Amino acid sequence: MVTLAGGDGISLFIPKLYDIVWSLVILVVVAVFFYKYFMPKFNSIFDERAEKIEGNFSKAAKAKEEADEAKKKYEEQLNGARMDASKIRDDARSEAKQIIADAHSKADADAAQITATAQRSIASQQQQAMVKLKGDVGTLATSLAGKIIGQELKDPDMQSHMLDQMLDDMENEGKQ
Amino acid sequence: MGIITLAQIAGNLNLIGYGLAALGPSLGLGLIVSKSVESTARQPEMAGKIQTLMLIGAAMVELLGLLGFVALLIM
Amino acid sequence: MFESVSKTTILAAGTGADLPTVKDFLPPEILFQGTPFAINRIILIRIVATVILLSVLALTASHAKLVPGRWQSMIEMGIGFIRDGVVYSVMGELRGKRYVSMIVALFFTILVFNLCGIIPGANMAATATVAMPLAFAAWTLVQYCWAGIREKGAWGFIRDECFTPGVPWPVYFLLAPIQLLELIIVRPASLTIRLFANMVSGHLTLATCLAFAQYWVFEASNKLTGVPVGAMWLVGGLIMTLFEIFVAFLQAYVFAILTTAYINLSYPEE
Repeated sequence: MVTLAGGDGISLFIPKLYDIVWSLVILVVVAVFFYKYFMPKFNSIFDERAEKIEGNFSKAAKAKEEADEAKKKYEEQLNGARMDASKIRDDARSEAKQIIADAHSKADADAAQITATAQRSIASQQQQAMVKLKGDVGTLATSLAGKIIGQELKDPDMQSHMLDQMLDDMENEGKQ
Repeated sequence: MGIITLAQIAGNLNLIGYGLAALGPSLGLGLIVSKSVESTARQPEMAGKIQTLMLIGAAMVELLGLLGFVALLIM
Repeated sequence: MFESVSKTTILAAGTGADLPTVKDFLPPEILFQGTPFAINRIILIRIVATVILLSVLALTASHAKLVPGRWQSMIEMGIGFIRDGVVYSVMGELRGKRYVSMIVALFFTILVFNLCGIIPGANMAATATVAMPLAFAAWTLVQYCWAGIREKGAWGFIRDECFTPGVPWPVYFLLAPIQLLELIIVRPASLTIRLFANMVSGHLTLATCLAFAQYWVFEASNKLTGVPVGAMWLVGGLIMTLFEIFVAFLQAYVFAILTTAYINLSYPEE
């Protein structure tokens, strides 16, 4: 059986020249690979990913902002529409009132006119009737008087004079 | 193992020396680990930092044990 | 390692288990013998591991998409683990940014090199000669010295490291050399020895378990006790394999985190 150290254990810790050469070659190759290719590649991927995630966040925030704005706009429009509607309603109401009032006043005016016309016509008819009545009463009275006093009053001057006197008398009687 | 092999192992005093040299670092490692477990239990939020420090300390102590091993090899 | 164990065991049947020795880590040169570019078994493993690692990562990177697939998200998880869990948690994001590439490279390379120790056919970590951990440690040394010199100037860096403020001046005669030694020798040496010795001891333990399993099952004369004991050694080998996976990860992690901590120490106090 061979013992563990066997006397040349020290040679383990004395690097050989070719060992050093190959170690350095490998070290340099590994270092260059990692510094120049591997880490920049992955760093760019990490950065890109972070950027993308951040970009998505900002995009989402932007979309939310836009949505908020649209909502605000919509609400504003809604409010405006509501106000418009109420205004229109008020207008309509007042217009209706106006119309009703106009109609009222027109009707009143018409009624007054009609009344006035009627009164006027009544008045004129009354007058006509009065005149006619006056004439009729005159003739009637004349004929009556003629019949009563006979032929004496054939003279028209006399006749009208008498008639006037009689009417005056009647008026006076009416007044008393 | 035969009697000859036993005699050969007994002949290598370096191994006994290495066994003795491993005693100190083993105690040290035990202390380091027990203390860091204690600290982690006290402040769980510092666990990462404590673990890092523990590993650095353990690496220092481990070196002492390995120096014994190296001495075993080269003597 | 398997081949050598079985071959020698057959040749030397009955003479005992073929236990691993340090010779496993000093294999003969098989290509370009005698030149500075000589290749032995471990270096071959290392080159193959590098080629596989780089081509897999290059393929992943060139096919990388914004929405990762399963494999890509695994790689990304590894990068994120090193970046957030190691570099940024130790140094902070501002300082750490420039070192992420280095620490990720160290972690991935060391992890894959360590895992070669349990891959059938390789059975030897690519970090299991002293030069590879030494090269990684030298990289760390250069990085933290450069960081200190850039941040504080050469003299300021040496002064801060060697003449720690708040110490009476006679102590500096003792302290300054120790601190300088710590800065230039001990830190890289400790990184090297930690990684290398872990790989060596892991290989030795695992190979010992398997060699004894082989010996007790096939070579021992008494099969009645040999087979159960060999089975126990095999179970031990399985457990050690799992443990080696853990150690491979842990050592890569520790190397990465210590490198980060050393670089961070070179920066001025906040």
